[in-house]
Order: sequence, then structure tokens, then C-alpha cells
Amino acid sequence: MHTPEQHAMDVNMDELIEELKVKIVEILNLPDVTPADIPVEGRLVGGDLGIDSIDVLELVIMLHKDYGVVIDNRELGAQVFASLQTLAAYILEKSPGSAN
Amino acid sequence: MGVISAMGCGASETADALKQARCVLRPISLFEVADNPPLPVGQVEFKSDPSSPLPRTHCLACIAADQALAGASAIPDAIVLGVTTGGILTTEALLEKGAATPEGCRHHGLGSVAEALANRCECTGPIITVSTACSSGGVALFLAMEMLRNGMAQSVLAGGADALSRLTYYGFRSLQLIDPLGARPLDRERRGLSLAEGAALLLLTTERPAKKALQLLGAGLSCDAHHATAPLADGRGAVAAMEAALADAEIQPTSIDYINLHGTGTSDNDLAEVRAVQSLFGDCPPPISSIKGAMGHALAAAGAIEAVAAAIAIDHGVIPANVGFAAVDPALNIEPPTAPQHIPIATVLSNSFGFGGNNAAVIIGDSQGPSYEAQNTHRPPLTVIASACLTGAGRTRETWNSFAGGRMCSGRLDDKTATEGLPPRTVRRLKRLPRLAMALAAEACHALPDESKPTAVSFGTAWGPLSETYDFLQQLFESDGKFPSPTDFVGSVHNAPAGQIAMLLDAKGANVTTSGGNVSFEQALLAADLLARPEANAILLLGADEAHPVLAPLLDASVNAGEALADGGGALVLERGGNRRGPTVTLLEYQFAPGPNCITELLDRMGGGDAVRRDYGAILVGLPAGERIAADRQLKDFMMQSGFNNPVVDYRSIIGQFGSASATAAVLAVQMIERDSVPAPFTSNGADKPLGGKGVLILGLGAYLSAVRVAQQ
Repeated sequence: MHTPEQHAMDVNMDELIEELKVKIVEILNLPDVTPADIPVEGRLVGGDLGIDSIDVLELVIMLHKDYGVVIDNRELGAQVFASLQTLAAYILEKSPGSAN
Repeated sequence: MGVISAMGCGASETADALKQARCVLRPISLFEVADNPPLPVGQVEFKSDPSSPLPRTHCLACIAADQALAGASAIPDAIVLGVTTGGILTTEALLEKGAATPEGCRHHGLGSVAEALANRCECTGPIITVSTACSSGGVALFLAMEMLRNGMAQSVLAGGADALSRLTYYGFRSLQLIDPLGARPLDRERRGLSLAEGAALLLLTTERPAKKALQLLGAGLSCDAHHATAPLADGRGAVAAMEAALADAEIQPTSIDYINLHGTGTSDNDLAEVRAVQSLFGDCPPPISSIKGAMGHALAAAGAIEAVAAAIAIDHGVIPANVGFAAVDPALNIEPPTAPQHIPIATVLSNSFGFGGNNAAVIIGDSQGPSYEAQNTHRPPLTVIASACLTGAGRTRETWNSFAGGRMCSGRLDDKTATEGLPPRTVRRLKRLPRLAMALAAEACHALPDESKPTAVSFGTAWGPLSETYDFLQQLFESDGKFPSPTDFVGSVHNAPAGQIAMLLDAKGANVTTSGGNVSFEQALLAADLLARPEANAILLLGADEAHPVLAPLLDASVNAGEALADGGGALVLERGGNRRGPTVTLLEYQFAPGPNCITELLDRMGGGDAVRRDYGAILVGLPAGERIAADRQLKDFMMQSGFNNPVVDYRSIIGQFGSASATAAVLAVQMIERDSVPAPFTSNGADKPLGGKGVLILGLGAYLSAVRVAQQ
């Protein structure tokens, strides 16, 4: 059973994931990818999407700017950007504006 | 040998710092930064002359040059300098204040550093400015050595110089490539590099000096053709450069007594480089170390400073310590010396790698290596096997049709037409200049059979990627240092377009970018001439510049703020020897600061006015708008003294005022030769005029005098 808080968080999570998909396509100027093509749990970097280490750093700037979340080293970046799921979870956990 | 860095001024102070394994990294104080505490850097403390208008990079280069030339009896024949920053430290400060003027930015160009040296020692060249990011110093030494071997010069002042700047400080920071604790090359906990600044210049000569002197025994270049910043993980590209250097020096790996690593302290570089060393030298390589934990990474100066360090290692019998190393990284499984080791050293291999997968290795030794006597043998000319150009009128065909139809070609081709046919995923994060350069490369090479595809690239650009540079700085200023784009930084380096071309063509050979204002393309031609060995693979020579609405009028004296902007470029695929037929292209003359008698001297060298009238059916003359007074006088002299009576075309008035316009002119000249005809708009009777087997001369006038012959084979 989901508690109301968990439910609110799931909704937040879903919304955030959709928001991130749009931002990723837009910021990285991915030519042949639509937001729907980005898997939630699949590999985000180094896979079929063509996203590489420089793209991750570009998204790090977006995270800082739009969510106030700072990722200041590559090791942490590699963990956080493992998938859209891990990215969204990290934002929810660390963003000053989030419920937590 | 001249050197200045945070380790000291001069070879003696540098040797002391190395022998004491002193770490000279300190928090940056040259400009205010957003970090608290400021990141540690190798900043040089020196008294600059307040009356000098020269930016910091220029001042550092002049100090090193004065040392190198002290006691030299003659003016060097040539200068080859690696530079990535030029006057950016000055320009970026002016841009931030909103106070940038053409006058204030007149020393911005990378080529202006070598010009400052040339002015100082009255060298009229040839001068080449190499900008291949962090490998620039090594690439400069390679080209200088080839100049000596080809008999093009008997003495060359060669090296590299770079100053700290906001662009590089925040750029590497945005890439999370700076270790906040200071660089710890090879260490298990390493987290990146430390930036530094400095200059080193070596006076190389074919003469064996009376006293003992070291020799540049060989050098090798390669390109990963893999990624804009990350090296090939297995170090294959680095292996190729080191192997080429060993073959060039005609020595075996066992002859190397010490390897001075590029060793920046970034996770990726050190891993790839150690793997490369282990694959080439086996499990027991010679002693290795990086001096970047002691002094930081001085970018274009690094390769030259480390050549000096290699010389010190030999002279003093000391392997410099790998300062910053504490614990073995199991992934590297290598333990460098943490204190200087005193052993006799005869031969040193020194690596320098850069963005764009650019690799250089040089070998310095005290042995009596292969003869340094100039091999002034006759080499077959460079043959053009394919070409492409781009202007405001369109791609090659549209440009030729406009040119031959007497219509203007100048302008800024729309992005869609310019990038047609390029892979969308590749160009997605590239801006104007890399797109133009890739379009030229793709078109020039698309019809070539695989065996004729170029493996080496020589690219000339007057100003580099201006859009990326401007956008990076704007976001830096607007966000108080917080949000400059790492993508823009990676794209802002002058050799980024050539690196992209290498990936597009899978060109893993030498990859050189030159930059010297209006003669950037001529410099690239000279570099291509030095790189192209007989019977070797083809080389792609190209020149391109972009018209940036803010920076182009600010930096290029030939671009007026009020006028419509123009950009474009040209590309030639060249072979030396080989079976394919095509027009030949030859750099006849390339001179800095030509004197009042330069035209008389040029005509003498070309065999006099009679020979010029006999050999050439047309002249394409480059008259940069910003140098019009000098250029017009030179043209008048040329016409009067040569009595030339065939068509003379002022090509900049047709294709536009941009730095590498002569690259486009070269392609138009190739087209004229292939058609053996001068188009009607330029002839006296209004009809196409047969060239009758004669050549086309591309004459560059103004602050530089250049002459390129394009002729039937």
C-alpha cells in the first residue's frame, strides 16, 4: 500500500522525469530523438542516444541552474547520470525546492 | 634555450626547481575568480613593462625568446610557435567591461605572439603559429625540425607560449578537469590537472655548435580521431605518435632512458598514456614522470617547457620527480619517482597530447643522431586531387558559377545549405566554424576512392571558432562565473574543427591547425608541405573562418562593423608524387613585414617580369581591406615592375573580407587551371580566355607578402 506521501512523491517523480526528457532533448540538441525515446531505467550515457561525457557536463549546468543541485565531480556525475531514474531521484533528494 | 614558468625564469632556475622537486602551484591571483579558495595554478610572477601594450602571453614569449637568442650571432630564419590563448586575457577583460575596441583587441590573434617575437628579433619569416591545444608545443617542434631538414631554414626559433586566462580557467573547471588540491599525476586519487602559464623557446640550428649541444632527434604526430576531449582509452593514438617519433629518430624503444609524460593528472589522460607506454615499452618501461604536479599544465607552452626539462634531465643527469604522487593506482600499476633520481640520461622521449585527440611525441638526446644536414633534395610538388569551397553564394558549384558569371559571392551562407549532408548527430553541438570546415572536408573528399582519402589534416583559421568563444564568455560573465558551457569551451579551441574533421574522415595521421590572421591558410599550406612525404597518404589542406557579428569586426581590421559580413573557406586534397594527375600547388613566397623592396625581390626570385608574364595567365590578388594602403602600393609596384598584362582579380572584393579568403581563392585557381580558362568577366575582351597551359598566381599583399602558384602538372 502506498502512503499519501509516497503517492505524492511518485507523481512528482513522474512529472520530473517527463520534464527532464524534454530538457535533455532540447539542451543537447538531439536531432533524431524525441522525449519519448529516452528510457527511464535504461542507460542514459554512452548508449544509443549518443549522449557522452561532455553532454553530461552540460546537463550538470542545467541541474545547477534549474534545480539548484550541484554535482562537482565526475565520479558523482557518473552515478547520478546512470539513468533518468537515478537522475530524477537525485534531484528529488537534493533539490532545495523539493519536499525533502 | 629560453624558459619561463612558475618554476622560474631561465634554464638554471628551472633546473634548480626540478632538482628540488618543488611544487609551485598556488591559488590563482592573476584575476578574481568565483571559487573560494581559488583553484591552485602555476602562475608566473614577473615584472611586466607597464608601457608595453602587449598581452601577457606575448610578454612571456618575449622573455623566453630573449634568453634563447642571447649570444646568437644571427637572426633566426624562421619562427614556429605553439599558442592557444594569444591575447584572450586582455580581450576577455575588455569584453566583460563592455569596453572592447578594435584598438584594444589588436593583439588578440594567436599569430600576433609570433609576430611580436619576429618584430623583436627582426625575423621576416616564415613564421608559423601552431594551435593544436595542449599538444601545440610538441607539434611546433615537429614542424621546426622538418623546416630544417627540408632546407627551408638553417635556424628556427621554436616552442610554445600561453598565459592563464578566464577562458581556460573556467573552461577546464566546467569540464570538471581541475583537481582542487593541485594536480597529482598518476596518483590513485588524482582528480584532474592544474592550469599553468609560461613559455619556452629553443633555437634549433643545422650547424653543429662548437660547444656540446643537444639534438632534437625525432618527432611524431598522430590523431585519435575518436572524441573532442577524451583520449582513446587504450592509448592507441599516443602509441602511434611515440612510434612515429622513434622511427623518425631511427632508434629503438630500448634507447629511451626517460619518458617525460604528458601526465596531466586527469583520470582519462593518465590511464590512456600509461597504457600506451606499457604497450610500446612492455612491462619494464624506462623511468617515467610528469612535471605537471610540480608546475601545472601550461597548455601550448607545456610541450616546449618539457623539451627544456628533457634537456635539463640530460645535462644534469636527473629524472625529475613526479610531484603529487602518493599511492599507486591499481589501474595503472606504475610507480613514478617521488624524488629526483640522479642517473646518467642520454635520450628522452617527451609526450604532449591535446583536445581533438591530437598527439605529439618528441625525442631529445645528446647522441650523434641521424645527420641534421638539410636534405635539400628535390621533392615532387603537391598535387591537388580534389577540392571544395564555400562562400556566401553557396557550395563549390554555386560559388564557381557566381564567380565565373561576374556576380558577387560574398555573404554568409545559410546554415542549412552549409551543413547539408553532414551527420546530424555529429553537428548537433557544433557552431559555425566547425560546420563550415566539416562541410568543406566532406565535399572535397566524398568522391575519392578509399586509398586516396586523406589521413592527415592541415587547417588554417585566422580567428578560430568565434561563436563558441563568444558564447562561452557571455555566459561566464552573465552568470558570474557559474554557468559557462563546457560544450562551448571544448568547441572554442582553434583545432576543434580539425579534430572533428579527423573523426569524420577517420584521419589518424598528423592533425595540424595554424592561425596567423590573413596568412593562416598560407601557414597551413606550409605545414602541409612539411607534413607531406612522397608516396605517403593524401593530406587535407583547408582554410576557413566564420563571420561573427560581434567579434569579427572587433578582431579583423578588414571587417567593417557597418558592412555585411562574409565567411567561408576552401579545401584541397593534396598528394606528393603518386600517379594521380591534377594541378600542383606551391608556396613560392611567404614573408612577414615585407620591406619597401619586397616586390623587386619577389620578382627576382620568380625569374623576373618576363618569367612572370610567360608563366602566369592570371593573378588572384588578396588585398585585405585593413591593409589597403600598403597592399595597393605593393600591387602598383608589382604591375609596374612585372609589366603583367593578363587578368588580375581582386578576389576579396568578390568573395568577401575574411581571414582565410585565400583558401577560397586557391580553389577558384584550381578550377581555372582545370578548365584552362580565365572566366569572361575578368578578361579584356569580355570572353573566356584560355590559359594556354599557364598557371594562376595567388598573391597576398599587405602586412605579409605571399605568393602561391597553382599550375598544370
